[in-house]
Amino acid sequence: MSQTEKPMKISKQLRLQGQGFLLSRNNSEMLMGIIQHFDCGADLHSCLLTLEMIFSTLLKDRNMYIEVIPLKPIEQTPENQYKDWLRNVYEECFTKIVHTMENASPKIQTQGLSTAMNLLSYEGKYPLESKGTFENYVPLSKLKSILIKMLSNKQNNVQLVNKYTEYLLFDDILFFTWKLLPSLTAKSNPNETYIMNYLALLEKLQVHQNNDTKILCSEGNGSFFTFDETVTIKSLNKIWHCVMHWEHTPLTHKKMLIVLLERVLTNLEKPLLLTDFLMDSLDVGGSISLLALQGIFTMIQVHNLDYPNIFTKLYSMFEPEIFHTKYKARLFYLSDLFMSSTHLPENLVAAFAKRMARLALIAPSEDIIIICNFIGNLILRHPGLKCLLNNSDRDTANTDPYIMEERDPVKSNAINSSLWEIKTLQSHVQPSVSSAAKFINTPLPSVEWDLSKVLDKTGDDMFDKEVKKFSKLIVLQFEKPNGASIGKGERLLQFWDF
Amino acid sequence: MAKTKNKKGALSDRYHIKNEPKKLNSFEVHVNKEKLKVIGKKQKNDRGLPGISRARAIQKRKSTLLEEYKVQNKNNVFLDRRIGEKINMDSESKAIARFTALKMKSHSKRSIFNLADDTILTHKGQTLSEIEKFDDPKSDDDFSDDENQSGKLDTNFVGEAHFGGGILKNTGKEGAMTHKDLINQLIFESKKRKAEKQKAKEATLELTEKLDLDWKDLIPLVTKDGKNEEIRKPKVDDYDKIMRELKFEKRGTVSDRLKTEEEIAKEEMESLEILEQERIKRMNKQDTEDTSKLKHRSADDLDDDFIYDYDNDDEENMLSYNKEGEPNLQIQANVNGTVVKSTVNALAEEVQDEEENQETYKDVSSEEELETDSEDNLSDLKISDNESEEENCNIIEEIPVENDTPIRTPKQASLKIETVNNNKESSEKEIEHVEIPFTFKLPDTYKGLLNILEKYDGHQHLVIERMIKCNHPSLSEQNKDKLGLLFAYLLQYLNDLFSDDLQKDDLKKHFNIFQLLVPQIYSLAQLNNQNAHNSMLEVIKEKYEDYKKKHKTHPGLEVLIFFKLVSVLFPTSDFRHQVVTPCYTFMEMILTKCRVNNRKEISYGLFISSLILEYTALSKRYLPAVINYLSGLLHMMIPKIGVKLLKIPPPFKPTSTLLVLLNNYSLESFNSLKLNFADFSEEEITSEYQVRALYSVIKILQQFLEHYIILPSHVEIFEKATYFLEKIPLNNYPREVQNNANCLVEELRKSKIERRLQYLVLEASKPKALRLYEPKIQVVYDGKSHKSQSKEKAHINKLLHKVKREKKGALREIRRDNAFLGRFKIGKQLQSDKERKEKVKRIYSEAAMQQSELNEIDRKKKRKN
Repeated sequence: MSQTEKPMKISKQLRLQGQGFLLSRNNSEMLMGIIQHFDCGADLHSCLLTLEMIFSTLLKDRNMYIEVIPLKPIEQTPENQYKDWLRNVYEECFTKIVHTMENASPKIQTQGLSTAMNLLSYEGKYPLESKGTFENYVPLSKLKSILIKMLSNKQNNVQLVNKYTEYLLFDDILFFTWKLLPSLTAKSNPNETYIMNYLALLEKLQVHQNNDTKILCSEGNGSFFTFDETVTIKSLNKIWHCVMHWEHTPLTHKKMLIVLLERVLTNLEKPLLLTDFLMDSLDVGGSISLLALQGIFTMIQVHNLDYPNIFTKLYSMFEPEIFHTKYKARLFYLSDLFMSSTHLPENLVAAFAKRMARLALIAPSEDIIIICNFIGNLILRHPGLKCLLNNSDRDTANTDPYIMEERDPVKSNAINSSLWEIKTLQSHVQPSVSSAAKFINTPLPSVEWDLSKVLDKTGDDMFDKEVKKFSKLIVLQFEKPNGASIGKGERLLQFWDF
Repeated sequence: MAKTKNKKGALSDRYHIKNEPKKLNSFEVHVNKEKLKVIGKKQKNDRGLPGISRARAIQKRKSTLLEEYKVQNKNNVFLDRRIGEKINMDSESKAIARFTALKMKSHSKRSIFNLADDTILTHKGQTLSEIEKFDDPKSDDDFSDDENQSGKLDTNFVGEAHFGGGILKNTGKEGAMTHKDLINQLIFESKKRKAEKQKAKEATLELTEKLDLDWKDLIPLVTKDGKNEEIRKPKVDDYDKIMRELKFEKRGTVSDRLKTEEEIAKEEMESLEILEQERIKRMNKQDTEDTSKLKHRSADDLDDDFIYDYDNDDEENMLSYNKEGEPNLQIQANVNGTVVKSTVNALAEEVQDEEENQETYKDVSSEEELETDSEDNLSDLKISDNESEEENCNIIEEIPVENDTPIRTPKQASLKIETVNNNKESSEKEIEHVEIPFTFKLPDTYKGLLNILEKYDGHQHLVIERMIKCNHPSLSEQNKDKLGLLFAYLLQYLNDLFSDDLQKDDLKKHFNIFQLLVPQIYSLAQLNNQNAHNSMLEVIKEKYEDYKKKHKTHPGLEVLIFFKLVSVLFPTSDFRHQVVTPCYTFMEMILTKCRVNNRKEISYGLFISSLILEYTALSKRYLPAVINYLSGLLHMMIPKIGVKLLKIPPPFKPTSTLLVLLNNYSLESFNSLKLNFADFSEEEITSEYQVRALYSVIKILQQFLEHYIILPSHVEIFEKATYFLEKIPLNNYPREVQNNANCLVEELRKSKIERRLQYLVLEASKPKALRLYEPKIQVVYDGKSHKSQSKEKAHINKLLHKVKREKKGALREIRRDNAFLGRFKIGKQLQSDKERKEKVKRIYSEAAMQQSELNEIDRKKKRKN
């Protein structure tokens, strides 16, 4: 019990001390005591809360406000001295608070951030000194120190960044973050942690103003600044120019591509500069090349990029391993987009169809359905491919004319083949797969299959669907078992000794 | 018009007088003019005889209405029914008429069979019928006792009183009474006598009644001896007894003769054949449906091959409603007796899904244009794909081959088998010792069952068998449900048997229990198939839910047991089966997702592979995951020496060498190359296990090849497996395994060479039928407006019309009646006036005569004067 009581006591004690300090100016030693306690590193959480309480009250009561009259030295009254001292303590404490963001415990990290941001907000609302004509301002130096801590190169600050997104809802913080960021961007090659933190932050930053205007550092409508989108876009371009030239590990490479696709690409001034980067990414393989593929697709679509070997690249991505990756649905989705053109050569499309059919022979059930629909759509778009289903010119073949090992889809001789794989899959154990593969038996429909319906299906979905199927017919085995063996269908006991 | 009326009236009078002339005067015929002549139509009312019909009407009124009018306001009517009084007759003819009337009456229909009706038999003045009433004769007797029966005054008195000289005569006797006294005395005496008589009568009555009562008491005494002898029944003869028994014995109804064994066997075979045919039908369900049966065609089908975009799978579950308005589509699950329905919710969800899909479908066009990647969240890529990452790492690093597991010699293995056998024997012996009661109550709780089964450990199957026999559903209605519960409990029991981490011996024992229990579970399922179906499905669902949480870890052994049970209980060859199809999905998931790192896990996968072989043994259907898995195992047997890596998709690792056999076993012989239960309990992979694993993989692959040889792409299916198999160095394996492997490779090669690929040809589509249109019917205009109304209403309208017409007729009749009566009244008035005038005239004339006579006399007097 004593262990649990102790921290309670300390937090209470600290709060009492803080309140005592606020009551009377003579109790300044109490503040020093709290700061000392804070320095020693114990009970950081409650210390942070107490300091926040003290300084926010001080700021609110304008206890640190020294009126500056232009062309007049500040009077050396004890009042002003006290205020000066307070301000020094405040600055000192702020750096310490920001320092807690490097603490090992994520709880204290986030608390540090929120304390710092709260103090920042109070300072903005009740400035320490009047600056120009505006009543409020954003204490940029403090914001910068916070950002520096967040973009640390020592530890992964995903949690901090997530916490920080709460503050990004305020227009002023968002705007000034954009403004500060170019100066914080590393020019030479930073380490991986820094890049990850940086990209995580960048991912959360939006270029445009928030829908509902909220200002953190002012109680009013924020007349002290205007959200200028050209500034943010400009700084984004500036940042990206640096980011592009960093050295990337596969992890950061991927993250960067994601950020690029989600946030950056639409706002870049000269996106065609990215082409080389994307081309290089395409050769990396795996999910990175897939992301690059998506980028290239956007470039082709929006920015008229011409890239001749894109289909060969896409073709090479269809490997047996794709079924065990997370981006399988994306690949199918993208290739559906790529193949949506009706002006592609038939033998190329046939190669795709044939390759997918081959892959379907070893794919999990849910993917076979996707593939069947995909091939169906291909044939619908390219009526010339009907020879894959209906080839009455030739009779039989010894081997499949299609060459699976050929890297170039055009040379794979797929157009001379036939979709026997789909025929095989008609005897798949799963009734849904089997019926999906039956499309080659009947005349093709006039409307394409909707791929988006099946893309996200997983094995679990299939199970649920089958379980939910209700048929009144209940059929039991009619052959009486002999021990654990069932008559003629028994196979298990051929391989197992019990 | 008045003229014609008059004419008619005259005519009627004439008719009355003339009494129907034979030839119709053409002036008397009224011809009804016809506006529209229809040929061949018979007319009833084309001509009429107004005179005749009027006369007839008047005649009729005279006999009915007039008569009524005459008796109007009169209460009684005197009717003289005497025969012959109305008409003047002489008395003789009157008598004759009366006699004939009497005779006629006796000849009436009713009295025709009363033969002796007219003669009533009497006795002493009384009719026989009266006598035969047998009244109490008591009262009659009284009078016979008395002297004067008649109740008249006695003679003396009469003599004296009536004829004794009159009232005024003095008797002269001294003390003689006066007449008044005498009368008084007389009255007194008669009263006294009456009272005495009454008294005596009452006494006798009393006595007789008493006597009657006494007699009743005495009856038993009197009759006792004689009757007893009569009552005593004669001793029942055995013969009679038997005879009666035989007589009243229940007779057997006529029935077919008993079937001979051969016939029974034949019937069984036939029913099995029918079942088999049904099974094959179910197996090929989809195939036949697609080709032979036309799909549903909407009435709006435009023959343009447009197919409404629905999931092929959903077509069986067409939404329909029953009489109560509930959807027929039901998802029903029976969990230990409680029924869970989830129709509406599930449906609602589906509907929602569909709506969403539609929405997305709508949005596609706009999305495609606006497709900027900011909408896309790239979630799939953000998740760091561990697997691929791991792989990548593995590709880069070369892991040295490790295989320093101690190798158990086959001797030890064989020893083990022997001990196991011993165990089995000893347990068999034990069975004989324990006594098991023949009747069992069905346990109400799972614990109850557990207790019973624990009590008779080793005889669980017998216990269950007897339970089923004692509580057969044909014995009681409730038994069916209870047995259903027992089925669920047994599943739970199996679950508990296999779910713990078991040691080898325990496993063996438990599997023996399972083996023995299977037939009982099978018969239980047959008794209540609905319940078996639902509980099994529920179990599979539950297990899957558990498994879903951790995709990569193998579920417990009990799942394997349930899979096996499914193949025992349900036909696994069906195209779609509610229990089997989810099992396929489940097994596929296990094979593609679960880790393969140790002996236990490999055995698990091999068990499932062989189970899938069993499931598809009849239907010969294809599951890619099995072949992938077996290829993966083969891959694990290849020593990875070269720099070039052999690619293999997860869950296998490209560098795994777990199953590579290092020791030389080529000369050793194994007792059994089959897998066994020990493989489930141990993790470490021994060389002996490696040998057995390869053997099993080859054997299973062989069977799969046999099954799939009909599929056009079987070469592609086995391509990888062949490739890996050829890479495995077979030298170290025992001879038998080597032979099998070579055999398989040979078969695969052969199949590749022999394959004939038939190019796909679409079925020639049927020629389109000309579109048939509905015949266009034009309405013919016939000048009449036909009301379209219901049958009932038409009937009512018809009746109303009739009533109207009848009312008209009736009014006309009433009017005519009034006219008739009026005519009659005025006639009568005229007649009475006429009579009165005549009377007045007569009186006048008489008075005039009188006056004239008086005048005459006066004149005579005057003359005289």
